[in-house]
Amino acid sequence: MDIELVEIRDFLAAHSPFDALPPEVLDRLPAALGVRYLRRGSAFPPPQTAGRFACLLRSGAVEMRDARGELVDKLGEGDLHSGDCGEGDTSAVAAEDCLLYLVPCDRLEQLRREHAQFARHFDSSLVDRLRRAIDTLRHSPAGGARLLSVEVRSLITRPPVFVAPGTPIRDAARRMAAARVSSLLILEGEALVGLVTDRDLRSRCLAAGLDPARPVREIMTGNVQTIPASTPGFGALMRMTQLNVHHLPVSEGERILGVVTTTDLLRLESASAVFLVGDVHKAPDLAALEAIASRVPELHVQLALAGASARNVGEAVSAVADALTQRLIALAEAELGAPPAAYAWVAGGSQARREQTSHGDQDNALILAADATPGDDAYFASLARFVNDGLAACGFTRCPGEVMASNPKWRQPVAQWERHFAGWIETPEPMALMLSSVFFDLRVVHGEASLLQGLQEANLARTKGNGFFLARLADNALANRPPLGFFRNLVLIRGGEHDRTFNLKLKGVVPIVDLARVHALAEGRPEINTIERLRAAAGSATVSAQGAENLEDAFEFVSTLRVQHQARQLRAGLAPDNFIAPEALSALDRSHLKDAFGVIATMQQTLESRYPFGRHY
Amino acid sequence: MWERLFGLDFRRRRLLARAAPGPMRDYLAAPFPARGDDYLEAPFLALDLETTGLDPRTDEILSIGMVALRGGTIDLASARHFLVAPTRAVPENSATIHHITDDRAAQGRPIAEVMPEVLAALAGRVLLGHHVRTERGFLGAACRRLYGQGLLVPLADTEMLLRRQLERRGEPITSGSLRLAALRERFGLPRYKAHDALVDALATAELFCAFAAHRELRGPAPLRLFLEAP
Repeated sequence: MDIELVEIRDFLAAHSPFDALPPEVLDRLPAALGVRYLRRGSAFPPPQTAGRFACLLRSGAVEMRDARGELVDKLGEGDLHSGDCGEGDTSAVAAEDCLLYLVPCDRLEQLRREHAQFARHFDSSLVDRLRRAIDTLRHSPAGGARLLSVEVRSLITRPPVFVAPGTPIRDAARRMAAARVSSLLILEGEALVGLVTDRDLRSRCLAAGLDPARPVREIMTGNVQTIPASTPGFGALMRMTQLNVHHLPVSEGERILGVVTTTDLLRLESASAVFLVGDVHKAPDLAALEAIASRVPELHVQLALAGASARNVGEAVSAVADALTQRLIALAEAELGAPPAAYAWVAGGSQARREQTSHGDQDNALILAADATPGDDAYFASLARFVNDGLAACGFTRCPGEVMASNPKWRQPVAQWERHFAGWIETPEPMALMLSSVFFDLRVVHGEASLLQGLQEANLARTKGNGFFLARLADNALANRPPLGFFRNLVLIRGGEHDRTFNLKLKGVVPIVDLARVHALAEGRPEINTIERLRAAAGSATVSAQGAENLEDAFEFVSTLRVQHQARQLRAGLAPDNFIAPEALSALDRSHLKDAFGVIATMQQTLESRYPFGRHY
Repeated sequence: MWERLFGLDFRRRRLLARAAPGPMRDYLAAPFPARGDDYLEAPFLALDLETTGLDPRTDEILSIGMVALRGGTIDLASARHFLVAPTRAVPENSATIHHITDDRAAQGRPIAEVMPEVLAALAGRVLLGHHVRTERGFLGAACRRLYGQGLLVPLADTEMLLRRQLERRGEPITSGSLRLAALRERFGLPRYKAHDALVDALATAELFCAFAAHRELRGPAPLRLFLEAP
C-alpha cells in the first residue's frame, strides 16, 4: 500500500516529537489517528466517547487560562496536548475554530516504548530538552557554513611520534613523556596498526596490573580511524564526537602526518580572541585600535560558526572590549600625564557581566579615590573624553542614557558614589530602577579595584533581604514578559497583540538577566555574570536550585540563538539586531524556544508572588 | 405519503428479497441508519471520485477515495484510495485536472474488483459527498453495469447543508463560495496541497464535522433533516 494520507504524514513529519520517528513508522501513523473539529469557544480537549486520546493541533488555536482568567499558555498549529493520556495539562478553550488530530493513548505509549528519540520528548525534563537543544544549536549552525574552515593539516605541529607494536609498554610511556604527547602511534613498518593514549596506559596497564615489560600491542586500540589532512577542523571535531575519541591520526594518502586532538581544536576556537587581545595591547595609536576593533564582528562570527556557546562569545567579545578600554586609557595617560589621584575605570551592563556580543553600547563610569580634589576633575574629564571618544570610534556606540565617564554625573569621588547608591536603594526612583543593569552590574576594567569593591560590599549589605528595595527591583524585572506561544508562525505577545518578528533580547535575554540580578542582590552575592549569579543564588530562599538551573539553560539557549542570528546577519553584511522572525526558525527551535519562554514565565510568576506589592508601587 | 410508507429502508428490504447472492445483496443486507436518530450518531462514509468527464452514462471512474466518520470524529483507519482502470483512454482535459495519466490509470484495478470493497464500506452508512449527486450518479451507473441494478443509498451533501447554514446565518452566497476549498477556508480548515479523491473525501468529511460543530448549540436533530431526496 502506498502512502495515502500524505498530507497528514507530512504534517506529522514537520512537528516535534513526531519528527523523531523513522519514515516507515510515520507512513503508518496517520491510519491510527482520528480527526475532529472544534468550534471556537468549545472546551478543550473535547470530551471523548470512544477511547482516550492526545490532541495534536492541525490548525486553530487554544488558550489556557488559570482560575483568574489570566492567559497562561497558548497552543497553536503543531502543538501536542496530552489530553486524556494525562500528564497534568490543564483544560482550556478553543480560541479559534480548530482541527485536531486525535492520537490514541495506547498508540502514543507504544511509540514511546519503541522509539527512544520520540520518548525523550516526554520522558525528559524541560532541562534535558533545553540542554539537548543547546547542543544541537551549537553544533549545527544554519547556513551550511564551513566551521573552523581551517584544515586539520595546519593543526599538526609536530611529526608523528610512533613505536613498533613489539615495544615494551614502559618504553612506549617513556617515549610519550619525552615527546610530551598524550598519544602514541603504533606503526608496523609504514602501516598504522594502533594508537595508545595516556588513558590506555592508566586503565589498561597500571590499573589492570599489567607488566610494563609486555609489548605495547597488548594495550593499544587497534582498527584506528584516520581523517584526511584536508578535513576542516569542525569536521574533525564532529568525527571525534561520533567516535567518542579525543585523538585522531591525520593521513595524507598512505602517510600518517600526525595526530590531532580535541584540545588542538578547542584551542583554535578561542585563538582568534587571544590574538585580537594581544594585538590590542601592542597597538601604537587610535587608528590601529580602530582597525583591530573592526575585526570584532568577525570574531563573533567565527566563534558562532565554530559552535561556541553564547557564553564563550560573550566572554571573548568582552575581553576584547576590556583590552580596547585599557589600551585607550594607557594612550590617554601617555598624552595627559600621570593621574593626579587613584581611580577605577568601571564598565557597566553587558560588558561588566561579560555578556557583550559584537558591538554594543558603552556603559562606563569613573570612581575617584577619596583624596581626589575638585581641581583634579579637569584631568579626569579629559581622560574620560579621550576613552569615550576612542571607544565610539572603535564601534562601541555612545550610551543613549549618557552613562559614560565623560558625563560628570558618572565621574565622582568614592564618597559621592556611596551616597548615590544609598539613596537609590533607600528610595528607588523609576529612573534608577531603569538603569539598574548599569548601577548593579559594575566591574573594574582598569585602576584601583578596591574603590569599587568597598562600594559593592556596602551596596550588598543594603540590598540583602531588603524587601522594600527588592520589590521595586522585582517589579522592574517583570516589565519584559516572554511571548506566550507561537501561533501560525506569528508570536502572540502577552494580551494578544502580535508582530511579524519578536525581540529576542528584550523578550528572552533581558528577563533572565533581570531575574538573576534580583536573586543575587536579595542574597547579597557579589557575582555579576548572569550564569554565575544564578549558580550563586541557587537553592537559596529566593530561587530554588531547580529553578536556577532551568533559568541557566533557558539563558544559554536563548542567548545562543541570538548570537547565531547576529552571526548570520554579520556574515550577510548586515547590522546585527535582535529581531527574529519565527518562520526563520526550525519547528524544533521554535518548540525549544517555547520551553525556554515557559521557564522564564514560570520564574517571573514565582518572583511576582514573592514580591506581590511591587505591582502596586 | 408514499415516501413515508415506502421509505428508503422499506425499498432496501424489497430489493434485498429479490437480489441474487453477491456484493450487492451483501450491501443491501445491512439496514440503513434510522432516519429518526440523532444525525451526529449516524455512520457516514465521505466519498469522492475522479472521473473522465461529467456524464455517468458515458464517462468512467478513475479513482475513488473514502473515509468513514461518526459522532463528529473521522476515523483515518478507514481511509481508502482506489485507482480504477478505465476501459478507454483518459481524455486529455481530465488528465490535466487530476494528473491521472493513461500510465497511472493503467495501474488501476478493474471497477468490477473495486466496487465490492466500496459497497462493503458503504453498507449501513450514509453516503456523504460535496455535490454528492455526482458520486451517486457514477456509483449507480457502475452498479447497473455490474449488478443490473442501481444504487439505493441515503445521501447527505455538504454543499447543500452548508448552503442552508450560511443562508440561515444571513451570510452572502456568491458564485464559487460553495466550492469545497472556499467553504473550508470559511471554517478555518487547512488548505491541502494535494488534489486526489482521498484528500477530497477527507476534506469533505472535515467540512461536515465543521458544519456539525457550528450547529452543535441547536442540539440533536433527526438524521432525516440532513438527507437529500434519493
